[in-house]
Order: sequence, then structure tokens, then C-alpha cells
Amino acid sequence: MGVRLGMPLGAAHRLAPEALFLDPDPAADAAALEAALERLAGFSPGLAAETDASMPGFGRVEVQLDGLERLWGSETVIVRRIGEAMAGILPGPPLAGIGGTRFGAAMAAAATAPASGTASGAAPASVAVALRVIGPGADTDFLAGLPAAMLSRDPETRARLERFGLRLIGQVAELPRSAVVARFGPDGARLHARARGEETDPFRPRRAPERLILALPIDPPVADVEGLRFVLHRLAGAFGDQLEARGAAAAWARLTLELDRSFSAGDVPASMVVDQHLPEPTSEGLAIERLLIARLEAAPPRAPIARVELELGNVAPAAGTQLALFTPQTGRTGRLGWQLARLGLRFGEERVGWMEIADPEAPLPETRWAWRGQPASGSAPPVGRVGRAR
Amino acid sequence: MGRPAILPAPLDDRAISTGFGALDAILGLGGLPRAAATALHGEGTSGKTTLALQAVAQAQAAGGIVAYLDLARSLDPVEAVARGVQLEWLVVLTPDSLEEALAMAAMLLQDRTVDLLLLDLPYRPLSGAGLSAAVLAERFNRLAALARRAGVQLLVLEPPNLPSALSGVLTQVSALRLELSRRAWIRLGGDVVGQRTEVRVSRDRFGPPGRAAELRILYTEGGLRDACLARVELLRETVGPGGKPEAGRAGSAAPVRLVPVVAAPWAGVQAGSRVRAAPPGGSRPTALFRAVRPSPPLPFRRNPVHADATPSSSLAPPSPPSGSQPSLSAIRGGADRPGRQALDGRESSRREQVGPGDGSKAGHAARGGP
Amino acid sequence: MTRLLREHPLIEVELGPDGQLAAFRWNGRREQVEVCNRWRVEENWWSQPISRDYFKVAGQTWLALLYLDRVDGSWHLERLYD
Repeated sequence: MGVRLGMPLGAAHRLAPEALFLDPDPAADAAALEAALERLAGFSPGLAAETDASMPGFGRVEVQLDGLERLWGSETVIVRRIGEAMAGILPGPPLAGIGGTRFGAAMAAAATAPASGTASGAAPASVAVALRVIGPGADTDFLAGLPAAMLSRDPETRARLERFGLRLIGQVAELPRSAVVARFGPDGARLHARARGEETDPFRPRRAPERLILALPIDPPVADVEGLRFVLHRLAGAFGDQLEARGAAAAWARLTLELDRSFSAGDVPASMVVDQHLPEPTSEGLAIERLLIARLEAAPPRAPIARVELELGNVAPAAGTQLALFTPQTGRTGRLGWQLARLGLRFGEERVGWMEIADPEAPLPETRWAWRGQPASGSAPPVGRVGRAR
Repeated sequence: MGRPAILPAPLDDRAISTGFGALDAILGLGGLPRAAATALHGEGTSGKTTLALQAVAQAQAAGGIVAYLDLARSLDPVEAVARGVQLEWLVVLTPDSLEEALAMAAMLLQDRTVDLLLLDLPYRPLSGAGLSAAVLAERFNRLAALARRAGVQLLVLEPPNLPSALSGVLTQVSALRLELSRRAWIRLGGDVVGQRTEVRVSRDRFGPPGRAAELRILYTEGGLRDACLARVELLRETVGPGGKPEAGRAGSAAPVRLVPVVAAPWAGVQAGSRVRAAPPGGSRPTALFRAVRPSPPLPFRRNPVHADATPSSSLAPPSPPSGSQPSLSAIRGGADRPGRQALDGRESSRREQVGPGDGSKAGHAARGGP
Repeated sequence: MTRLLREHPLIEVELGPDGQLAAFRWNGRREQVEVCNRWRVEENWWSQPISRDYFKVAGQTWLALLYLDRVDGSWHLERLYD
């Protein structure tokens, strides 16, 4: 319609007379988003959102679904539940997208048609969430028909894409990676990966929760540890998926069992708590589950179990997974960095480094690339990444 | 204009493909040996630099980190990238002398943090200050032994004017030695756009020596004219002293398959609008092949388990605010997770570790094609 | 693949009877060549002008890229094809 951010109200009104212009209230918007995130935290510990109302991405929330199907149901069910939970907090049902990568999911959400038309002033009681799902493995196909300009917010990059006649994401995806990097520099690798449906940006949950805690009721209560295994498996598995997706690991687990004392002796406690330090930080749900079951088998609960709560703590980034880009070399960058620092110390720092493409289109070949040396000793090793100017 | 060829991986995971199927076919291991030294010898324009960089790209595609000992000071990173080399996994070391180069190499090998060491000996006479040829040769010997023990691939580009003591030891320590010689220029019109080169296996610890293969290497310019390079009937070969054009034969019927074009996507695109008299298609020649990259891990996993549970938190909602519709994106989990027992008993796929781990050369990526 | 020589070393050239480039001398060796392509690059006329006549030459040993720096009249070797 041509209405743009920052346009004077009168001009906008002329362009779209039927639209309803609401007074901006960033404080209320931000509060609503916070409330929504609190509600969502009950679904998934993996949440990320742009909470600054002045930023263009404000209002976009990312929810990590890894492992959640075990607990809340299939993807569509999860989204429906989220929609129900959001009703009353948000002005309208969210536009939801599900995809294999952050970019894919965001594009799917953007491509969704609103279920209830334009935003109204009042919050609808309950409206179906508009949802667009990209099937597994279908990210590339879905993205192919979208405009290539969506791959980047940078106007320079967008102009470049257009100059090269790359109008659709699919065109970028079809090119060999090397060709894109040669033309767009180091950013080209991300553009290309994004176009191909590969994950390029690490998912950074807005709050790395100090505690990961989930609980499930058991109805009817189970009398023995074996019956508990089923539920514990789901809980531990869900956490494991989340941790792994974030490249994190937990070093401590607490199991709290609520007991059903209806038919028990008077001295049986209402709950039983098992604190377990893990032999090493892990994201393996199965390992956590087995250890806890072994503890319970050694000292079984004295009454049937009606509710299971699992909490994981001491969560920290797992070693060797700092880089999100999934290349086989990324796990070894720590060691490489240290060794190159040693080489630099012995032979001179200017002797060790990387080449990177500066401007592949520059007329003189010697200006098309640049040398990037090791950083001064004392700072972190560059871990083999061709990056931006330091 | 045709998709890049995905060359099948060599059958033996002790080797990395050269990127040229015809060459792989005559090598005992089906590729360049992973834990041994390979020497490439060739005079002038013979294709050994092309071959070496292709080897780098292949090693990186297989998950390796490459160290480049740049004594020759003539690497073109733009071309390397267009060839499939990943600059972020190419550590460049610029020693001042062969002695320094060998010391750097020894340090790298001791720590085993790289998978391929490319030693690019210079065309100009080596700065001989310091050690005698005999001592250098001995150091070379030790280096090759270190590389073997560390399981690191050593690739040496040998220029023709190497002192005999060095070339002698190089021959001794190389598990594989390839001699490249140009047989003909390939021309498009009057311009020379490539070469046909013969690669002869003069030494192979893993197979019979003496076999030869022919490679056709084309140098693309990154512009409109590259489209012509795939039209084999437009190319012709010429042989003869001084490269002077003689009655050439048609540029087809070569016994090896031409590795398909990678520069093609840019055909029809003139970058920018610079006004200058440039050769047709620009002034950045690049050779013409594609490194193999492993396919990315499948990003999805379908977990059909259904469960019924309600979230535990609850909050009183504040009054509804003004503002636009929020969007919610949910990100699905990945397929490459360690196997989990789904509730209905199905095992989801195990994650395969792609590429070498800490020093182990299991060579996963070499298994099967993408 | 080509080698982009870092310092564009100075070379000597010989012109043939027709004024065309016939041979060049580098690293102590003489290479008789045939010119198979040529073009001109001009840049930066507003600050530090660059004006080069490029010659792609094919010889017995090498396929190479030479240029004449028209600003100071020197000849250089920029690339060796290999």
C-alpha cells in the first residue's frame, strides 16, 4: 500500500483510508510481549525475541521446538496451545511459522495470512492461530520462490543481489557456494547457507535459564520405578534435545517426586527429592535418565508417584560447540587457535594468518583480497573464521 | 549450463580424491594418500598449481583444515575461492626461507591440528643462507616421517630448478610422485584458454607406477565468454614450439571427461558498470572445476509422538495493548541427534560425526557420495 | 589456476620487428612468446592514476599475464598460469 514507517499520519491516511491507525504505545507493547514470553516459557526453555519496541524485528518470537513434541503434542497442537495461551495477552492471534531454521521459520510466519484480518483494538477471545508449516526438508523449496532481498537486511547486499539479477532466493541457492563468496565476500557464505535452508545463526535464548524445570503429572499414580521410566524418559529427552540444540550441557539434575499417600502409612513423606551431580556435563537425556533411575532403584519411593518434576542445573555451553555453523572443522578451532598463537610467538605474528576476500570486483587484483593476521597475544584466537574488520 | 559434477569418493578412505576422476583412476589408493607425502612436479604451465588447489578444496570438503606454507608468495585467494577453497580453513604461513618453513611445518605436525600441509616451493632460487642442502634434506626426511606418524597429508609443489639434494630427498620421501607436462594449449579463437596436460605417476607406494592420465584445464574469466568454454566444438588444441598456432585438431575426443563449469552462473552478468576496455568477459581468469562438499546434515526430524500435558505456569494477562500483530516462529529440531527411543519404539537416526575428530582420520566424509 | 605474483616483478621485454611483444626475460630466463590477448585497465584517474596494458602471452614454458605500466613505462609479470 505504500505506507512506510515514519510517514506523516496524514499522508498515510490518504494512501490507505480504510486502515485503522492506532496510537503507538511502546511501553504497553513491550509489557505485552514480556507477558507473552513468560507464558511461553512454560512451553519451552528455548525462547528468543526482539523485545526492543523501536527495532524492526519487534514482536517476533522464536520458540525452539526440539523435544517438545514429547510433552505437548505435535507441532500443530503445540502452536494451537500456544495460541490459546496467548489469547488475551496479545492484540490478535500470532502469525506462526514452523521451519527447520530460524530464517525459514521467520519467512513462514511472514508468509502466513492473518486468520482474523487486520488487527483490531480489542483482544479476541479465542481465534485460531494462523500457521504456516514448512514440512521437514522442505525449507529449500519453500524459500526458493521468495524474493532474494529477504536474505539480508543490508541495503548494499540487496542492491548487489539485484545487480546480479538474483531476484529469487532459489537463484542464490542454485549457485555454487564459492561463486557467492567470491562475489559477496565472507557474508556470501551465510547468504548462501540461508538460501539453502541451512542454519546460519545460533539460536540464543533470551534468558539462558539458570534452571531448566519441567513437570508432568502421572494419572493414575505409578507404584514402581519401572512405571516412572516412561515419564522420565520424555522429560529427560526433551531437555536433552533443547540443550543439544543450543550447544549446552547440564552438570546437575534434581528429581522431585510427589507421592500419593492415600494408602500408605503415616510416616511416608509427601515428596521425595533426588539430587544428582552428573559425572560430566552432558546433554544426553538418556544418560541422565539412566542415572536417575539407578538412584531410584537403589532407594525406591515408598508410595505411588503422582507427579514428576525434573530440574537440570549448572547449564553451560558444551565444550567445542561455540560456532553454530555446522561445518566439520568447527569442533577443532580451539586447539587450532592456540597452536597458531604459539607459531606466531615463535616466528612472528605477521607470519601466520588468513587471506580474506575484500572486494572481488576491484579492478586491480592485488586489492581484491586482504591479509588478516593473528590477533595480538592475549586476546582470544580467531578460530579460523574469516570475519569482519576487527 | 550443467550442474557441477559430484565425483564419487575414492573407495579407500586412506585417500582424498584429486577432484579429477581420470587421475583418481590411475592412483593406487584412488586419490592422494592422507597420511603420506605427495610431490607434484611440473615445468611452467603444467597444471600442478591447479591440481594442488583442487586437492586443498577436496581436503577441506572432507572436513579438513589446511595449512599453506607460502614460500612462493603467489596464491590468488579470489581464484582459490572460486575453485572451492574455503579461506577460513586455510591457514597461511609465510616463512622467509625453506629452513623456516620446515620448522613451522614441524610444529604444526607435532600438534596434529591440520590435516593437509601444502608446501609451495618458490620458482626463484631458495634463499640458501644458513643451512646446506644436505642438512635441509635431512630435515625434510624428518618432516615426512612426522607427517606419516601424525597422519597428516603432505603435498609439495616442486619447481623445476630445485637443488638436486632436495629433489633427491623429495623423491625418496614421497609416497606418491606425479609428473605433469603440458601437451597442448586449448584455444578459443586466438586466445589461449586452457591446456591439456598429462599426469604421469612416476612413483606410487600404493600401486603400480608408470600410468598416465590426461586432464583438460580451462581458465575462465568470469564473464560472458565463459559460456563458450563449455561448447567443446568451439575449442581447438594447438601444439608446437613457442605455442605458435599450427594446424590444430578439434578440441574434442580427449580421453578424459571435462570437469564441468563452475563459473557459468555469472554468464550474462556484468558486474558493475565500469567503463574500461577489458578482455571479453573480464580479467580474472579462473580454472574450471568444482570441489566436492559434503551435503549438509538434514535439518529435520519428524517425531510423531503425541502426548497430553498442560503447561504449568499461569499469569494474569495485562490489558491488551495497541500495536501490530506479533509473529511467532517455531524452529524444528534436527535429524542429526543421537538416537532416541521414540515412544512408539522407533529409533530416530544416529548422528554421524562428519569429518575427522581430534586427530583421528576415520574419513567419514569419504564414504559414499552425497 | 593462476599464480598472482605478489610484487608484480619487473621484467624485460623484447619487441619483434613489427613492434609486437616477442619475448620476455624473467628470473634469468628468456621466454619467446606469442600474444594471445590484450586489454587496457585504467583506474583512479582522480588520485593515483593506474594505466596498464595487459598482455596474455603463451610461450614454450609458460602461459603468463604481463603488463606495461603506462605511468612509468615499466613492464611487469602479474600472473603465471599453472
